[in-house]
Amino acid sequence: MLLLLRFAGRRMVTALPMLAAVAVVTFLLVRLAPGDPVYVLAGEGGTPAYYALVRQRLGLDRPLPEQLARYLATLARGDLGWSLHQQRPVGALIVERLPATLVLAGAAFLLATAAGLGLGVWAAARAGSVVDRLLLVTATVGSSLPVFWTGLLLVLVFAWHLHWVPVQGMMAAPAPDTAAARVLDVLHHLVLPACALALQPLASVSRLMRLKLLEALAEPYIVTARAKGLSQGRVLAHAARNALLPVLTVMGGYAQMLVSGAVLTETVFAWPGLGRLALDATLTRDYPLILGLVLTGAASTVALHWLTDVLYGAIDPRITYG
Amino acid sequence: MRWTVLATCAVGVGFVLAVAATVGGQARHGGALVIRAASDPGTLNGAITTASPAHTVADSIFNGLVQLDARLQPVPDLAERWTVAPDGRTYTFRLARGVRWHDGRPFTSADVKFTYEHVLLTYHARTRAGLEGVLDAVDAPDPHTVVFRFKRPFGALLQRADVTEAPILPRHLYEGTDVLQHPANAVPVGTGPFRFKEWQRGAEVTLVKNEAYFKHGAPSMDLLVFRILPQPALAVIALERGEVHYHDTVPAPDVRRLQATGAFTLVPALAGPGGSFCISTAFPNLTRPPLDQVRVRQAIYQALNREFMVLAVAGGLGRVATAPISRGIPWAHHPGLPPVRYDPARANALLDEAGVRRGADGVRLRLTFPVATTQIRYAEVMRDNLRDVGIEVVVQPMEFTAAVQTVFVRREFDLAFASYCNGPDPDIGVKRMYVSSNIQPIPFSNGAGYRNPRVDDLFDAATRSLDLPQRGRHYRDIQEILWQEVPYFWLVETFRYVGYPRTLRDVQSWSGNVAERAYWSVAR
Repeated sequence: MLLLLRFAGRRMVTALPMLAAVAVVTFLLVRLAPGDPVYVLAGEGGTPAYYALVRQRLGLDRPLPEQLARYLATLARGDLGWSLHQQRPVGALIVERLPATLVLAGAAFLLATAAGLGLGVWAAARAGSVVDRLLLVTATVGSSLPVFWTGLLLVLVFAWHLHWVPVQGMMAAPAPDTAAARVLDVLHHLVLPACALALQPLASVSRLMRLKLLEALAEPYIVTARAKGLSQGRVLAHAARNALLPVLTVMGGYAQMLVSGAVLTETVFAWPGLGRLALDATLTRDYPLILGLVLTGAASTVALHWLTDVLYGAIDPRITYG
Repeated sequence: MRWTVLATCAVGVGFVLAVAATVGGQARHGGALVIRAASDPGTLNGAITTASPAHTVADSIFNGLVQLDARLQPVPDLAERWTVAPDGRTYTFRLARGVRWHDGRPFTSADVKFTYEHVLLTYHARTRAGLEGVLDAVDAPDPHTVVFRFKRPFGALLQRADVTEAPILPRHLYEGTDVLQHPANAVPVGTGPFRFKEWQRGAEVTLVKNEAYFKHGAPSMDLLVFRILPQPALAVIALERGEVHYHDTVPAPDVRRLQATGAFTLVPALAGPGGSFCISTAFPNLTRPPLDQVRVRQAIYQALNREFMVLAVAGGLGRVATAPISRGIPWAHHPGLPPVRYDPARANALLDEAGVRRGADGVRLRLTFPVATTQIRYAEVMRDNLRDVGIEVVVQPMEFTAAVQTVFVRREFDLAFASYCNGPDPDIGVKRMYVSSNIQPIPFSNGAGYRNPRVDDLFDAATRSLDLPQRGRHYRDIQEILWQEVPYFWLVETFRYVGYPRTLRDVQSWSGNVAERAYWSVAR
């Protein structure tokens, strides 16, 4: 346990300079991109003096090194800055929108994990059969479909034609009266975006799980297990434990992707999470908000990698933290 | 005989019942109206921005001094009547009585004076650009009178005084504070038909009926919800499913489909926070040869197949632009300009005459065309059209704000494109395109870089004049000159279609204040 804590502490210390580097590089990259927040914010038809005034009010008239120094000083105080477009603290905006993304990404992750692992094991147990081949083809197609396309298709079939689920948003308008009705309403709205977002990782995980399980089943210890007369279920469980390790690595990557990469899904389904916030921030050139979101994404990547490493140890006792 | 009497009675009773049912059906009050909004408003203070997402919501919370009617003529709003002095320099507004802010404080002339002097003339881009240097003072001689004094005759105040161009803010909240960062910008207090209730960022803004609204019988709706649905095509599906009730930019392919269902009203929106009387316009960089030659520009204009653009790009929701000022402003539009027909042969001849000849590879000229991806189809049609006359166009697609900066601020282009919205008065949306003082590194200014002192003088004279026919003559003179010199290529007058269920009535689709009088004609 002590070793684990020391490991975690060391990872935290190395993460800080990396996050600072991310902040500087992103700051410069965002400023290099064409476009100007002043024109988006102030609207059209103004005079040059007017735009100069808005630019000055936002502090965008200062030299770039000065702006960068100010921004880093703000960050050092634990403050992510002030959104130009929304005129509110960036931290508050991210915290406000985080639950929606976590709900969506969490649901998609659970779906992808449960269904992906299940299908992988199922297919491996029937390797070479027609069902297995069919699943493999479906998974290959599923992992290559762009999410906005599947999203639109799902809306057309299940919302427009069948009327099973709502088209867009996280809750009906006006919202239901009771808390319980609201929760049910959110779940109802969650079905399509979660499926759309889960499809790619689900397909990849099922393929990988199948492959790794088949590899594990060919190992000598499985032959021994079978020779000992263990049931097919016990044998699969033995093999699955080893097969899970590489799958877990991939899942860690997907968890990160689901949180930070939900831009398209959230846009298609008008889901009010961080992905939509990121898109709006980019379109309005809201520099501090873009930077805040990138830093949050980077920090969550570090955290998820750390979590994956810890889980590795929990699953495979051979891995220790030195 | 007895049967005849009975039958007559039965028909009579039936008629009365039918009429009663119709009247009852028409007068249904209450309910919720869900309006589609394209993006999060960012701020709910419409006096500090001209950005349309903010006005889509804020215009239902605030009022202007006047409202524009369906013909975009000024009618009373916070001002119940007004007079304009014969010299055109003084406007006197009498304010409506009994108007209260949503927090219960009385509305007075001091609010109007404060809003203009301390907010609109500083932070509202168009109002500042229009009144700065012309407006001398705003006086509030008594709580119900406001007097605007101008340095010179000014004919275009009323069209600039509606809730989109000049919403009035509460002085008691904003005075002595930083207006741009005031908390009330997110929790607004207005005088309008709806009061702010809740803003779930990225999802929706909810307003409730202002029970104490100063206009008799308005509003009808109990609740107004602005749902943020960025994708117009998916928002149409939400409209069909009843998840939203009002969509202000129905995409072209969906307009006829919705019309065919018979369940929806589809109307071209003349004005509103999304812009009014917009003309899809391409323009050359007049500082770059040979685009500085009139004959070359005439050739390019003749080479453009604008009928095809109406069909293929605007999806039939528009008409070929026949003059620099939209037909939507009939008193200023020039109806008699000679039509410019699609004529590649004539264009080729004109280019030869201008000395812009084909090289060995058949190309006369290579032009760069940076354009926003949202508007790229116009550029693609132009590229194909111009290739036929030996002009090679290199289309450079980019994201909208990047295109705006490349064209208007950096001026790195040969050809460019913008949807220039004319506004309810040419003084607002037309003048900026042509006056030489507006060749500025700012979005949607005089992008072509056109200079003509005669045109400058005529625009100035039109602004000074109070006499509408006289102003119309000035604008028609201007259009004759522009038609000769072709500094812009006026392509298509586009219509933005608004869609809503047939059971929704009295929608003010031309106004920012869409739902002030809207009601459901059947129970929902």
